[in-house]
Amino acid sequence: MASRITAAAHDDRPTFQEAAVDIVNAPSTALSSTTARWFLILGAMFVLGVVGFVLKIVDAGMDDRASWGYYVAMVSFLLSTAAGAPMLSIAPVLAKANWIRPVMRISQLFSAIGVLTAIMSIPLIFLLPPLVEDEVRRRSIWFGSPAYFPHMWDTIAIFGLVFIGLALLWSSSLPDLAAIRENGGGRRQKWARRLAPGFIGTWGQWKALKMRMGVLSAFYFLFLVFTHVLFASDYIHALVPGYKDAIFPMYHALTSLQAGVASVILATYFFWKYGGFDRYIGINQMWNLAKLQFALSLLWFYFFFSAWIVFWYSRTPQNEKVIELFDHGPYMWAFLGTLFFSFIIPMWTLMWNFIRVSMRGPTILAVVIIFGTLLDRVRLTVGPWSIEDINEKFLTEIPETVWPDLWDIFMFIGMFGGAAFLFLLVTRLVPAVSLWEIQQSRLISKPAMYMRGEVEIVGKPD
Amino acid sequence: MRQGRQLDEIRINKELLNGALETPAWWKWAVLILFTIVISGFVVFGIQTNKGLGVTGLSRPVFWGAYITTFVFWVGISHAGIMISAILRLTQAEWRRPVTRAAELLTVFSLLTALSFPVIHAGRPWRIIYWIFPYDFARGLWPNVRSPLVWDPAAIGTYLTGSTLFLYVALLPDLGVLRDRTTGWKHAMYGALSLGWRGNPRQWRLQTVAGVLLSALMLPIFVSVHSIVSWDFAVTPGVEGWNSTIFAPYFVIGAVHSGVSAVVTMMALMRWLWKWDNFIRPEHFDALARLLIVVAVAWFGFTIVEILFSLYTLEGPELAFRDMQIFQWPWAGLFVVFLLTGFFIPVTMWLFKGVRNSIALMFWTSILVNIGMWLERFLIVVPALARKQPFVYTWGSYQPSIVEFAMMAWSFAFVSMNMLLFARFFPLIPLFESKEAMIFTTEMKIGRTTIPAVLREQE
Repeated sequence: MASRITAAAHDDRPTFQEAAVDIVNAPSTALSSTTARWFLILGAMFVLGVVGFVLKIVDAGMDDRASWGYYVAMVSFLLSTAAGAPMLSIAPVLAKANWIRPVMRISQLFSAIGVLTAIMSIPLIFLLPPLVEDEVRRRSIWFGSPAYFPHMWDTIAIFGLVFIGLALLWSSSLPDLAAIRENGGGRRQKWARRLAPGFIGTWGQWKALKMRMGVLSAFYFLFLVFTHVLFASDYIHALVPGYKDAIFPMYHALTSLQAGVASVILATYFFWKYGGFDRYIGINQMWNLAKLQFALSLLWFYFFFSAWIVFWYSRTPQNEKVIELFDHGPYMWAFLGTLFFSFIIPMWTLMWNFIRVSMRGPTILAVVIIFGTLLDRVRLTVGPWSIEDINEKFLTEIPETVWPDLWDIFMFIGMFGGAAFLFLLVTRLVPAVSLWEIQQSRLISKPAMYMRGEVEIVGKPD
Repeated sequence: MRQGRQLDEIRINKELLNGALETPAWWKWAVLILFTIVISGFVVFGIQTNKGLGVTGLSRPVFWGAYITTFVFWVGISHAGIMISAILRLTQAEWRRPVTRAAELLTVFSLLTALSFPVIHAGRPWRIIYWIFPYDFARGLWPNVRSPLVWDPAAIGTYLTGSTLFLYVALLPDLGVLRDRTTGWKHAMYGALSLGWRGNPRQWRLQTVAGVLLSALMLPIFVSVHSIVSWDFAVTPGVEGWNSTIFAPYFVIGAVHSGVSAVVTMMALMRWLWKWDNFIRPEHFDALARLLIVVAVAWFGFTIVEILFSLYTLEGPELAFRDMQIFQWPWAGLFVVFLLTGFFIPVTMWLFKGVRNSIALMFWTSILVNIGMWLERFLIVVPALARKQPFVYTWGSYQPSIVEFAMMAWSFAFVSMNMLLFARFFPLIPLFESKEAMIFTTEMKIGRTTIPAVLREQE
């Protein structure tokens, strides 16, 4: 029956040589005047953020926990977006998905933002109260461990995650850096010589590369879960007296995946529209990403509801206080925003095929979801950080709403500016679309004619 | 290299209809033995109804025991159907094709079995009618709609309805084939069931769209069913070890783990009993094992988090419960067996390609998983209740009686017998899926290597 594949269909995909030229010398890697302008703007935003941070220390000091809630929300937000994005280069590969290949490098590039996350996490070491205060130990996942265990392990987790992410980016870029080393010029070639000195594409080197990427991917996944469990438990969960929510760390990890996919969708759109990669990134990638986005948005509600139903049903005073703190109390505005932007709007739009199968539809929804995640992190962190007595047995008093001050707004601007700056910087050196993935994709897929229709034959190697 | 041979449509019809159009020699004996166990189960149920629930091991404070464990177990097994047919259909995984119908069938029969257990467990089953029709209007005694126990029948009933529809829609083309190959009363039966299936393009299009729509619609139901069952336990603040927010996804992922393992067991038996070597191949077991590794690791992660957060508050009763569950005999022994059979032995074995491609080893590891998953539910339900009241001095007093073991055996025999009866009249492997697989799967040569490939429509 397979003999009805009558002939090869017309193949208008870029050839190996065209792809090499397009990707190695892509416009997005050049330092044009537009790009330079963007660097200046984003750099200025980042500097504004640093100014805000310094003035916050001068104004509030490091002891007033309530005034640093928004800062913790920012670190949580960065962990959720930038750290979750590289998972897209890991999970679909296990399912042998061919569509992900043009997008893999884009997702890995988000590891660069991890540098900002790691730097921003350093002040948290000084902000987080120790486990034991005035001889009273608060509940945590560390049980009887030393008082500064959370500070140590959370920092190790975040830095470890960033390091593994960068290692994964570097490993996957090796063949492309080697191509730049041989065919590029100027500063890029110099950097490529430093980062890929010996890669010449022997069979042994490719095998080692694949193995290294497999190990790093597995470690990245484990570290991502580990980091989210620790961060969610230590920086949020343990600060709410009497709060016991086993699903909370998983919720934090899942929403990180949701925001990570949204970030990749946004970046994919920009590279398609402005980056010169429109022959490699197309509707197929956006459609599949949109399906993932839809599923993750539904899962947002599932994880939220699984916790809420248990708290609501029990009707104990303690659980009612928890629901009030996070949902219908001082941060109800953030909760409603999260509900709409992270769930209701994505669900009611992404369920329609005409929105999923478009370039702009999923991109707009990605922005909506990223905003929803930001509100979610605000609602989850600012409340707990403004609780007066975190060493009580149960939460008795719901704190008043803490609004962001001018320094917090500066820091938010700086966070976005710094993240975008780092992302743009790394794309000057590393091509945003992986040349070797594109070439592998070309090897294992080809158009064909089946009876009178055009089909694609996609290889599924082990 | 792609396994199996390219077969033509005539050969596919002949091999896959050998169960429906001819009776294998072993079939009658197997059904007879299973029927005997099923009848024995009904007799035992009759005895229990006559004598009361005292013939079971249930007693204060353990009022939920093996029956509820088995109820949850069968609801878990039922998740195989949607996992294999719906999710893998939506993700266009070609290797799902030989197992979709058997998985959907397993879902339907395991749900029927699961629904029987609350009836069995009621002791006086006629009183269940009061759940729907309150017996005392004057005093305003209505069913407690806040209770997950009231949501359970609605969720399971919806899932059963949807799964049956799903099974039936996918069966239509094969019913047409059977109608055209039979005479007499069978021809009339298949003719009525096939609803006028002619196989024209419009009907194929509608059937495909219906399958995709049902797949998408069943997914939220699939998640909600076991979540609601988990809330039977999770919303109970008074029982240590139960009041946990993670129960819903924990139960669902556990259900996928046990359900897919049950599908592996079933596939191995199908291949051996009906000699379907051309259709159920080692590559299918390999793919399922890889899926199971991911699911099992996620499930194990949830298990760790669940235990960690139960100890989080360091409250005396909770610590004492976990101490009893993990370190005291007999629960400690069961706990070790649960971990070994549910995770460590099978997952370690599945990491090796030789094991994944060995049908015998996959069969035995899948059985181990389901032993472990039954024990998981038992260890959630029973020890927690055994410690429920702090002043009870009869902790560890529950032991399933012969009656409960008989009903558990009845449930396995009931599902197996119904599967065999179905296989006598309808093909267990979809004919049209197998024919499509011959079209959609191919090979391609890259350099000197030949790799398996699939056809995709151009988007």
